[in-house]
Amino acid sequence: MSTLNAEQEVKELIADIIEMDPNEIDPNAHLVEDLGMDSMMALEILAALEKRYKIKLPEEELPKITTVNRVIELTKKYVE
Amino acid sequence: MSSKPVTLNLQQLDFEQIKEIIPQRFPFLMLDRVIEIEPGVRVVGLKNLTGNEWFYQGHFPRKAITPGAMICEAIAQTGIVFFHLSRPGHEDVTYLMGSLKIRFLEPVWPGDQLRIEVMPIKVIANAGILNATVTVEDRVVTKGEFALAAKENGSL
Repeated sequence: MSTLNAEQEVKELIADIIEMDPNEIDPNAHLVEDLGMDSMMALEILAALEKRYKIKLPEEELPKITTVNRVIELTKKYVE
Repeated sequence: MSSKPVTLNLQQLDFEQIKEIIPQRFPFLMLDRVIEIEPGVRVVGLKNLTGNEWFYQGHFPRKAITPGAMICEAIAQTGIVFFHLSRPGHEDVTYLMGSLKIRFLEPVWPGDQLRIEVMPIKVIANAGILNATVTVEDRVVTKGEFALAAKENGSL
């Protein structure tokens, strides 16, 4: 998975959950402080990533996805 | 038809057993029986709708049709049963719905029996994203996904 693909796909996935334009999402954005997400939305991200890439993400990864960039890193780690 | 009462086994829950699990009561109890249980895999509940349901008085006075919100409530309550049976040992818990993506495919009328099947998409220790399919006589009338969080009482 290329860096560009991962970034765009994760931004689209997050945008779908928070109902926002993916182009307005900054990769450095903090999920809670900048995007107004909560813990349930973070769980939705994990579920959406699992569904999209047919992967299994352990619960321990949940507290680590604090920013969009962290979600992108997580995706690359498990998809590649 | 035999008048012999239905025998409930450990794979089912009757109305009284459901009330031991979910906190809702009249007029908000939207589950009559749980007929299939596979802890952590799926739960199937039933809700029989009669023309006497309180919400038909206003929805609508000249044509009773089941409010989608009440179908969502039936889904949520089946989700609570799923969650409770998947997490033994957590008794004093409040369940909160975090999100709901739902599609109403067909209207539901007085006399219909809702069959609500809930399966996990992603479940962690204290929350889950669940899939719900509601059928009436094998026709899918409502389907969707919802998020449920379990909060230990005292943590709210």
